[in-house]
Amino acid sequence: MKRLRIAAVVTEVRRYSHAQHILDRFLFGYSWDGRHHVPDIELVSLYTDQRPDGELSRDRAKMFPQMKIYPTISEALCRGGRRLDIDGVLLIGEHGKYPTNPKGQRLYPRYEFFQQIVEEFRKSGRSVPVFNDKHLSWNWDWAREMVETARELDFPLLAGSSLPVTRRVPQIDMPLGAKVEEAICVAVGGVDGYDIHALEAMQSMVERRRGGETGVEWIEAATGVDAIVKAMKAGSFEKGGWDPALFRACLCRSHRLVPTREGFNHTLPTDRQIEGLMRDPENRNTPVLYRYQHRDGLRMNMLLIEGVVHDFTFAARLTDHPKPLSVQMFLPPREVCNFFNPLTHATEELFHDRRTPYPIERTLLTTGLTAAGVESLYRKGARLKTPHLDIHYRPTRRSTFWSN
Amino acid sequence: MTHSHNDETRREFLETTAATALAGSLVATSSGDEKKPTQGKPGRKKRIAIITTLWAYLRHGQHIGDRFLVGYPREGDWHEPRVEVVSAFVAQKPTASDRQVREKEFGFPQGDLSASRAREFGFELHKTIPDALRCGGRRLAVDGVVLIAEHGEYPSNAKGQKLYPRSEFFSQIVDVFRSDGRSVPVFNDKHLSYSFAQAHEMVAASRELNFPMLAGSSLPVTWRMPEMEIPYGAEIEEAVVICGSSSLDSSGFHALEALQCLVERRKGGETGIRRVQTLSGDDVWNALEHKRWSPDLMARALSRADLVKGVTLVDARTQDLAAPGVLRSIVPEPQAVLFEYRDGLEAALLLLDGAVGNFTAAVRLDRRDQVLSTKFLLPPEPNVAYSACLAHHIEDMIVTGRPGYPVERTLLVSGLLEAAHDSRADGGRRLRTPQLDVTYTAPRASQYCRN
Repeated sequence: MKRLRIAAVVTEVRRYSHAQHILDRFLFGYSWDGRHHVPDIELVSLYTDQRPDGELSRDRAKMFPQMKIYPTISEALCRGGRRLDIDGVLLIGEHGKYPTNPKGQRLYPRYEFFQQIVEEFRKSGRSVPVFNDKHLSWNWDWAREMVETARELDFPLLAGSSLPVTRRVPQIDMPLGAKVEEAICVAVGGVDGYDIHALEAMQSMVERRRGGETGVEWIEAATGVDAIVKAMKAGSFEKGGWDPALFRACLCRSHRLVPTREGFNHTLPTDRQIEGLMRDPENRNTPVLYRYQHRDGLRMNMLLIEGVVHDFTFAARLTDHPKPLSVQMFLPPREVCNFFNPLTHATEELFHDRRTPYPIERTLLTTGLTAAGVESLYRKGARLKTPHLDIHYRPTRRSTFWSN
Repeated sequence: MTHSHNDETRREFLETTAATALAGSLVATSSGDEKKPTQGKPGRKKRIAIITTLWAYLRHGQHIGDRFLVGYPREGDWHEPRVEVVSAFVAQKPTASDRQVREKEFGFPQGDLSASRAREFGFELHKTIPDALRCGGRRLAVDGVVLIAEHGEYPSNAKGQKLYPRSEFFSQIVDVFRSDGRSVPVFNDKHLSYSFAQAHEMVAASRELNFPMLAGSSLPVTWRMPEMEIPYGAEIEEAVVICGSSSLDSSGFHALEALQCLVERRKGGETGIRRVQTLSGDDVWNALEHKRWSPDLMARALSRADLVKGVTLVDARTQDLAAPGVLRSIVPEPQAVLFEYRDGLEAALLLLDGAVGNFTAAVRLDRRDQVLSTKFLLPPEPNVAYSACLAHHIEDMIVTGRPGYPVERTLLVSGLLEAAHDSRADGGRRLRTPQLDVTYTAPRASQYCRN
């Protein structure tokens, strides 16, 4: 059988850009299942929208002559010919200089690139699998359209963050069919960049609950130290905060808690100490909270408090379980960012099997949650009904995080 | 959490220890010593003494010792220790030059922390080890001893081994046990001694006086990525452990113990080591060419690293470290310790400073040529959460009187480490090690952190 050949449509290839991480894994290989694994898939064409200082695509093309760089998306997909001439597409629209709207969303051209890709599919009368890195679009209507187009043209569409597929400490998954009452993710970063990672991490866990995914009823967001401290002190989801036992479990799963007392390297911070860290003038991160409720009653909290922690942890309260289920979504050091290994492997599965290893509806929902969270912040924390997020789906039975 | 102890509990304690001593029990851990738990209140906590070289920020004495003061994470919760630090002996304070360097690194004063800890947590610092063990009284007054002699200003010998006074401190502890007619569990951090003869005496003393002893590194008990355990009783053909440091004495110990906790589960149990050879520089690359260890097994272990150096540092590209010539181009000073067990198992420790920043291992099982490999996870500073995994084993031993794994593991690795230094000092000569006839049976249950 001839080797699969894929194209990459990206915003920029430079050190630490998502395109660099993923493309390099196709070119140089990466560690997988205890070996250095080189994908049995040829990356043959590349479109890169921007060429910043230190851009690496030309350098890589010299090292790997089979990868040709084309000036347009259409040419990359047709490899200079007139018809679609590849077996899959990587769409990586993360990083690069793009404008930001008044709501603070970076307007990455994922939808625009996607439209050009499907236009080529339509013209050629043939579609191939597409992977879209991170959320589908900053714009909910566009995201929904992308998923509908994939259905219409009958091609598998995979998307999302590496958080759902990276290693976990401990190496556990949400038991399939568990009754989940409330969950929290304590994470780092800010709005429109890291919220999607935290939302995807949580969704990959809670989608396994009894009854499967039913969609989200409402969301409200808060930002700034005062609002977050108020929520922390509220004592429960009903009172505008979160279950403190879940928060504590996350802090205990963290391997990167910021010390609160000079000379102590690892203590469990009190609420007051956490507030102190958030108010510390040297901590320039703005804390963010999204609270939302699924249509089956599940309560969710996404808390970004970089400067208090420096990692991603998750905890959930399960009916009839005295202790929360808790886990750290493990992000290896930045120099090599091996959390891209399982994500790259998921795209290989997509291209080989012409089937998504996990449902696109997960990322459609988290895309909608990200946009709604940003919207709530824009409207000063108003609680927003989300009837459009009536997204139902079933998770995969098997766990899809990195455990080999 | 309460750290103070009033006169009543002290009196009660003295009565209990006296009764225990009278009963002739060498280990004060029988349940009769403890108050029955009532309404969720725990029974009397075991009293421990910490004997350390240095109690300064992020030194072993601090990051292990503090766990027993402030608690530590365990199974998704914050664990309150079932032991109480009642006394300590701290041999040194950080030197001015050490403080200066570290103040630059951490941005706050880096002096001795033991005095402020003692004040805050209500334990006493003593000027001698016997005083610490007797809490200033005349008889042994603790239920367990935690000996952490890592870091501090000590000379090194010509072979490159730092002469930490573990055996010396241990002897003083044992002298107290002997003269007071009672012994309690002892934990010794890292290897027992730079000298196998001394290490052997330490273990012999614990057998003679019949007190539980636990020792070693955090690596055998920390998280593994992925979770991996050697099937108990498996036939093992070969094993390789890799470490990204050039320090045979310090990091080499951790790596060797990590390997030992895997291979000790093999069929027939541990039999000891008969030959040790340490290669350096080009001899390492020549040995690799001659397949003195399996290049495939080395590649499997390398694939587990996620702190990859070399060209990855240039532009974050991924790389196959095991591809021909790569290691040679990025590791300027390689070392390899090749050793053969008495049952024929061959193993290698590769010190590859410049290639990786992790401890990883691969083991080939005879059956169907299966290879198991993993990374021993060392979460970063400042939390260094791996020491919480070790603290829990220490605490368990002091509370139950049963070590989770045999001290013979650390005894064997202490001797292996000394022999590796001997070989290196002898120009890489292969040494016979008849003294390393250390035999033991590993626990069947896995002991590393996975909950």
